[in-house]
Amino acid sequence: MTLEVRQVTKKYKDFVAVNALDFTINEGEVFGLIGQNGAGKTTTFRMILNLQDTTEGTILWKGKSVHKLERDFLGYLPEERGIYPQMKIEEQLYFFGMLKGKSKKELKTEIQYWLERFELTDKRNDKAETLSKGNQQKVQLIASFIHKPEFLILDEPFSGLDPVNRQLLMDAILDLKKQGTTILFSSHQMDNVEELCDHLCILKRGVSLYTGGLQELKALYGKIKLSIRTAKTKPELEVLEGVERVEQTRDGYTLYLQDESYGEALYQAISEGFYMDKFSMDYLSLDEIFKLKVGAPNE
Amino acid sequence: MNKLGLLVKQLYLQKIKSKSFILLTLLYLAIIAVAVNWSSIKGIFTDDNKYVTIALVDDTKLDLAKQFPSDKEVKFKVVKESKKEVDALVKKEKYDAAVYLTSKDQQLAVELATAKSLDLQVQSKIDALAENAGKVYSVQQLNLSAEQAAKILQTNTVVKQVDLQEKTSNKTAEEKSAGILIAYIMGFLIYLFVTSYLSMITTDIASEKGSRVLEVLMASVKPSTHLFSKLIGVFLTGLTQIVILAVGAYILIQFTAKKSVTDSLQEMLGQLPATYFIYVILFFLLSIILFLLIGALAGSLVSKVEEASQVMMPGVFIMLIGFYVMLSGISNPDSLLIKVFSYIPFTSGMLMTLRLGATDISTVSVWISLAILFATVALLFTISVTFYKRSVLTYSSGGIMQKIKTVLKVTT
Repeated sequence: MTLEVRQVTKKYKDFVAVNALDFTINEGEVFGLIGQNGAGKTTTFRMILNLQDTTEGTILWKGKSVHKLERDFLGYLPEERGIYPQMKIEEQLYFFGMLKGKSKKELKTEIQYWLERFELTDKRNDKAETLSKGNQQKVQLIASFIHKPEFLILDEPFSGLDPVNRQLLMDAILDLKKQGTTILFSSHQMDNVEELCDHLCILKRGVSLYTGGLQELKALYGKIKLSIRTAKTKPELEVLEGVERVEQTRDGYTLYLQDESYGEALYQAISEGFYMDKFSMDYLSLDEIFKLKVGAPNE
Repeated sequence: MNKLGLLVKQLYLQKIKSKSFILLTLLYLAIIAVAVNWSSIKGIFTDDNKYVTIALVDDTKLDLAKQFPSDKEVKFKVVKESKKEVDALVKKEKYDAAVYLTSKDQQLAVELATAKSLDLQVQSKIDALAENAGKVYSVQQLNLSAEQAAKILQTNTVVKQVDLQEKTSNKTAEEKSAGILIAYIMGFLIYLFVTSYLSMITTDIASEKGSRVLEVLMASVKPSTHLFSKLIGVFLTGLTQIVILAVGAYILIQFTAKKSVTDSLQEMLGQLPATYFIYVILFFLLSIILFLLIGALAGSLVSKVEEASQVMMPGVFIMLIGFYVMLSGISNPDSLLIKVFSYIPFTSGMLMTLRLGATDISTVSVWISLAILFATVALLFTISVTFYKRSVLTYSSGGIMQKIKTVLKVTT
């Protein structure tokens, strides 16, 4: 275990921003912290970054309180981008790297490598404000890990990126993971979380609704999403036993079941013994689980 | 290089390379150049051959015409024509004006007739000459001997001041008038620099906060380190500008100013003791630090750079109040108002500088004011470190009080 968040609570007078949050992140894994706006993600990040004290509980990095550590072991990409608009890109990367205790010499090769990988070499002497949003995002990401941190906090790293740049950044993050960097990751785009994270914590109003493995979370709900193509109508499907909800899609229907055990009976009822070219039972996507969990009024 | 050094270097280089810094420094140098060469510049715009011709009609029979000597600006011409004829000549612009000297009730009556308005300078000169002629006329009426008359007219009483309280500085009138001028210049400089560096630090922190760079920086350095780096960086920028201006002013005075200007400057500065300048430097530096702290806290309160001017207004207002109180001291630098404000730490930089130069002030008073200023700086510095840690990552809307309330809710 590298990061341990132990029963952490943060209160502002009467307002509880984070309540008894408890999770651990293993070395070299990507951990997702997800929740709606105002769920307490940024507060949690700030407490881990030692920018805010915890009201209760402790945060440990490799067994030591984060209060007692220099901040050089971590890198941080904030949700809203933070780079100097007037500073040249290369200058900016050196500055942030040196601020993390690296020498110019140590940074030189790294900066060259990442600028080239992110196709920014020809823009290295441009001021940040002249870059497109996507390129600014790349610079920001490089700045967060240019000093090769052991622990990296990424708050919404893909917001505003086109699919090509998103993939570029995704690959870079996966490479960092392979190199052993422990990553705490937050995103509103659940497909990104699914692609990157091994474990996650779902926050709602400062309270953890789920903490654990992604596959375990999906297994909790089971394969209750049934996709079919049929001549039957929506009202006919809605009255079938075990069906909670029916959604019409472009090429058929999606049925949400009470339990995956209804699958076989539903196949019989819908096909009526004839061939069906589409009948597929799947786990819910993280996006769907998130909506179910966070959208539920009293969970 | 440690993190503090790195942040200071980054800020310092960014500021001194900025266009606004370079242009402002050049502008100040240009103002200094104009000031030290003012007499030469004025000469370019003034026609030396242009003078005012004034007809002088003396009906007193005492030969007062010699009391109206001509110079480069005013030429007096004694004429014998009648008042009516002379008035006509003035109307025709043959003369710019006419001065009639007549006896009336054993006193000299002087009439100045003009067809167009005279320059204030010329008019003042005629007033002074007429006043003197009036004295000469009165003396001559008393039938005194030439020696007696000369004695009366050349009387020059010297007031020797003896201060029975040894604690005070016991300045002569010359020292005070030199002091009042230097004090105003110093007070104005303090006002100018403090407001511009207050604005610089507020805007810098506000723009870092607004662009969210601050969040990234906070993940690398402690808030207190960041605060120190801003204070030191802006302070060094200010010192650099002052040194450039001081060196520039010295070069300009040495190589371009007329000898008369250099001499009068030396004479003026020579009237003030060296301790005066030490005190001024102490007040100046402490005032800058005080207002930099206020500026840093103000900058840390805002959510975006556009709000910077709103939060720095109280600081600027305090400076403005001090500045106007200082201006009110032109006629009486010993007033109670000046005395009170010279102990208030936010205005003592300007006001104590004025009192030091222009009044007899005891050393104890100066040290009390300095101690209050120093204590305020120390107290504000301690508060700032805690407050800054809370405010620097708190984003809130509303007025200054609302922002402060929000920050105080944050228990870091």
